[in-house]
Amino acid sequence: MSQPLLYDYALDADCYGIRLAAGCLGIELALRSVDVHPGQEQLSPAMLALNPQGRLPVLTDGALTLTQTLSILLYLAESYAPDHPLMPQDALTGARMLDWMSLAAATLAPCAQARACAMMNAPGTLTQLRRDARRALRLFDDHMALQGLRGEGFLAGPEATLADLMLFPAFALTRDYGLDHDAFPALALWARRVRRLPGFHTMPGVPDYH
Amino acid sequence: MSINGWFPLSLAASVTPGSSTGAVLQGQDIVLWRDASGAPHAWEDRCPHRGMKLSFGFVRGDHIACLYHGWEYGADGQCRSIPAHPKLEVPKTICATTYGIAESGGLLWAGLGEHGEAPDLPAADPVRSVQIEAPINAVLAALPTAFGATGLSLDGPLAMLDTEWGRLAIGLHELGPQRTALHLTRRLDPEDEDSTPARIALARAATRLRDQVEAATHHAAAVPGTPQQGETA
Ligand code: FES
Repeated sequence: MSQPLLYDYALDADCYGIRLAAGCLGIELALRSVDVHPGQEQLSPAMLALNPQGRLPVLTDGALTLTQTLSILLYLAESYAPDHPLMPQDALTGARMLDWMSLAAATLAPCAQARACAMMNAPGTLTQLRRDARRALRLFDDHMALQGLRGEGFLAGPEATLADLMLFPAFALTRDYGLDHDAFPALALWARRVRRLPGFHTMPGVPDYH
Repeated sequence: MSINGWFPLSLAASVTPGSSTGAVLQGQDIVLWRDASGAPHAWEDRCPHRGMKLSFGFVRGDHIACLYHGWEYGADGQCRSIPAHPKLEVPKTICATTYGIAESGGLLWAGLGEHGEAPDLPAADPVRSVQIEAPINAVLAALPTAFGATGLSLDGPLAMLDTEWGRLAIGLHELGPQRTALHLTRRLDPEDEDSTPARIALARAATRLRDQVEAATHHAAAVPGTPQQGETA
């Protein structure tokens, strides 16, 4: 069997999400490190040939090239760990998982932009981006507050799914741009549960204290 | 500015044993943490070493450890261990600023300054906390309608409302001039078989309240001539 190859930047939140999910799924990824900062290597001709958007993540596997976190996570799980508990086996939980993953894909861009603005002087107004990031994460905090009352600890139900791993980096890294976790008490409780999943690991900026 | 009294800063259930969280009160940074045995603590959120927020650190047994250089503090605030100097007898002068702490009515309360007796409230179930980007008075004014209550009674920083979903006791928490947190609890009711549906209805109403108050506040702020208050993000 081929081995999936992740074009990776250690400080990128999406790349971390993919490494995190692969670790929890028990999948070994080949990593090819891309010098995003300061090298801007994601804009090199070779990388643009792989992903014309000029951004990470990029995952290749044989003839396949994928550039979206959502499709990469689903592809890895379906191809290499289809029976893993992080992949719901019932249609209802599977649909909920996909719904939360789609929402994460559609709404969390301000978190990455605020972080790039604060850490790498990327364009944008930090106060506005921080406010947008807060608004985006609040949708998930609102949901987890209700989940807590229902006695369900994760986004799609009582057990963790890929959706939780997809959301985790965006929440865990908010302090990089001065947004504290006290604004999201339900997510803070949820994050402690995610940290206890088998195979969980951190990245720079996500404290490792367990 | 000195603050005196008892202030609800979190739902008791939001701070689990062995964890810490930051809480801002009128611009002051406070760390709430629970040791491994479940006892809560409220301190100034500032490591005596170089000022790192202790809420970014982690709890080990009955100590809280700073994320920056790993100095550890015991329940009395005294520094107990400095990893860079493991043999050192740590001087008594290295001590975090501690506040009064109380767990009552499903809330965690910090006692600051001349705080007097701790609140002693009936038991209540947690609903949720919301943070609202609006002054506390704007939030208070919107409370009764948001929960379909006829009136509101205030007991210090505790707002009581009788609603169709039961008796709501809300901890009012002023983070700053433009940001308010509400910590919602529902008083236990002997008639209850299962309070979950009522608490879900209250949590949804709290979310709607937040969105409505913010929309109204930001609309007012966007009108020319309205004085624009400080940055709140
Ligand atoms: S700042 Fe806390 S240990 Fe150095």
